[in-house]
Amino acid sequence: MLLASLLLLVACGGSSGENQVKSSGVLRVGTEGVYSPFSYHDANNELVGYDVDVAKAVGEKLGVRVEFVETPWDAMFAALEANRFDVVANEVTINTDRQAKYDLSKPYSVGEGVIVTCADNNSIKSLADLKGKVAAENATSNWSDIARKAGASVEAVEGFTQAIKLLNRGRVDVVVNDSIAVYAYLAETGDKSVKIAGNVGEKSEQGFAARKNSGLLPDLNKALDELRSDGTLAKISQKYLKANASGGPETAPAQQETQSTWQLVLSSLGPLAKAAITKTIPLTVISFVIGIVIALAVALGRLSSKRVLTNIARFYISVIRGTPLLVQLFIVFYALPQLGVKIDPWPAAIIAFSLNVGGYAAEIIRSAIQSIPKGQWEAAETIGLNYVGSLRRIILPQATRVAVPPLSNTLISLLKDTSLASTILVTELLRQSQIIAARTFDFLALYTTAAVYYWVICLVLSFGQSRVERRLERYVAR
Amino acid sequence: MTDNRVTVENVRKAFGDNEVLRGVSFEVAQGSATTVIGPSGSGKTTLLRALNALDVPDAGVIQVGDERIDFSKPASKEQLRKYRAQSGMVFQAHNLFPHKTVLQNVTEGPLVVQKRPKDEVEAEAVELLEQVGLAEKRDQYPFQLSGGQQQRVGIARALALKPKVVLFDEPTSALDPELVGEVLSVIRDLAVEGWTLVIVTHEIQFARQVSDQVLFTDHGIILEKGPPAEVIGNPKEERTRQFLERILNPL
Repeated sequence: MLLASLLLLVACGGSSGENQVKSSGVLRVGTEGVYSPFSYHDANNELVGYDVDVAKAVGEKLGVRVEFVETPWDAMFAALEANRFDVVANEVTINTDRQAKYDLSKPYSVGEGVIVTCADNNSIKSLADLKGKVAAENATSNWSDIARKAGASVEAVEGFTQAIKLLNRGRVDVVVNDSIAVYAYLAETGDKSVKIAGNVGEKSEQGFAARKNSGLLPDLNKALDELRSDGTLAKISQKYLKANASGGPETAPAQQETQSTWQLVLSSLGPLAKAAITKTIPLTVISFVIGIVIALAVALGRLSSKRVLTNIARFYISVIRGTPLLVQLFIVFYALPQLGVKIDPWPAAIIAFSLNVGGYAAEIIRSAIQSIPKGQWEAAETIGLNYVGSLRRIILPQATRVAVPPLSNTLISLLKDTSLASTILVTELLRQSQIIAARTFDFLALYTTAAVYYWVICLVLSFGQSRVERRLERYVAR
Repeated sequence: MTDNRVTVENVRKAFGDNEVLRGVSFEVAQGSATTVIGPSGSGKTTLLRALNALDVPDAGVIQVGDERIDFSKPASKEQLRKYRAQSGMVFQAHNLFPHKTVLQNVTEGPLVVQKRPKDEVEAEAVELLEQVGLAEKRDQYPFQLSGGQQQRVGIARALALKPKVVLFDEPTSALDPELVGEVLSVIRDLAVEGWTLVIVTHEIQFARQVSDQVLFTDHGIILEKGPPAEVIGNPKEERTRQFLERILNPL
């Protein structure tokens, strides 16, 4: 719903029809970066994958530089409309709905619907055998419809990985999905416990998506035709899928060295720590500091005797507290570009988080200032201090003591809220864990590791809070 | 002009419909002590606060030290600041800064507002603390002191700015009875030393001993003023007599 309205919002902006790729010499490509083996980060943290390599090959054919912009799938088309990149290379399935809204290239990967069962299950060979069985499918996918029509009862799951897990554990009998996704899974994991038992005769074609009337299609299609006929596409497909994406599996999936979960977690500690230190912590600290400055100004506006200032401050607080942080992030990052303000992920995150902290902390600071007795203002006045001097030397030092515990809460919430920056392409702690997990499909272990990191940072913050509180309590009777 | 430190002419002040001062006039001579007595709600605290512009009068003229303001015209911030700098204020609830030490409370004004050198200011502050008998408490925080000690620090803080007039707003009303004496004796010493004082108080005996002039306020006017022997010893007005009777013989 949120995305739909945001899409609508950005779609209204529209985009011009000229081919800016040729003029700028850069093809900007939107891709997930956490969708193995199509678009993911390898052990060296390089963005690789089938779609990534195809896009690079196309760029080479066109003689332009390729620049990748990593974007979560849910925000992919909003970002495309917002002109954050020129094409999407992320296994975009070609269908009539999309064709109406976007320029879609000829397919560069072609799959067919296949039936996956446990390796030792010989009772299912075709769609007809699905009657009365239990299938695990993504609820909104067309595979779900196909399985249901064949008479299977459908267990709704989040994605293919989860579906395969249920199959592995014997919770469901069958998974119907695209052959490409299945090759990808087999290629990645070397899983021998499941097999492709048959196909359902439904083709799926994936291509690049660009904004409507982008003028890019002739170039893209020509490049893809050449790459297909000179065997480049097949080569890339073999590299990542251990199969030719346009045909059946001719060779058994090669045996692959797979890491144990424990090894994976160990090897993730470094990259996750790096993400925490270079992104999560600075994002938290910078946003908090700027946010407190905003909050102080807003709190003083709120306490001002000038009606205009009071009302502006009230309105600001009301908007910030009355809208979800995620929406605020999306508006700064995806909607502002429509007004001609293009912001990179990092400053966008800082702006959104600072404004958010500003709204919440303003009320904390206001009530802390109001908790200081009127006599303190009067005493400050009688020794000759002006408003700013009274505030700085007498009122705020005392208000700080009152405000530290609730502000610490805000800080700790902020630390965890920075994980939302992953949705606007900041590679912070959570997104780094997604990237590593995508390599191996082991999301649980990586998310748990990330959670431990967050927790440890929070422990440090709580410790700091009690030190500060103890220091500020030195002039109060106990 | 005589050597008056305070001249108040026909000052009026209302809070909404409530007329608290209805035309008040008096003078305070340099080096003299004036006490203001009267029933609660008679306007004596508002009168004192007008001398410091904590409550800005609606009309009338006040001169404190070198600064004269006609309150029938709006006064600028700068005017009020200069006017306020003429006097020091001692509050009923002392209003010490809890986050500052005793010494810092006393030096805050001279250091930050008057921007005088630190050595000089601290030496003076220690002297003032000695005068009020609290030199050894200089590095303690207000919460570590008794009520009487806190009020004495409040007096030192007011004196540190070297004001022309020191104003006291019921300085002993919030104190336990056994602590009243130590504060009153400090104030009496100031009077003897020649400071110009205006004191709002309920301590009638103290007023009689210390003041050169007593003002009796009632319903927003000064009903009676004169030396303590007259106003307290032999009041002309019936209301003054009634008030003194109630205070001196509560039962």
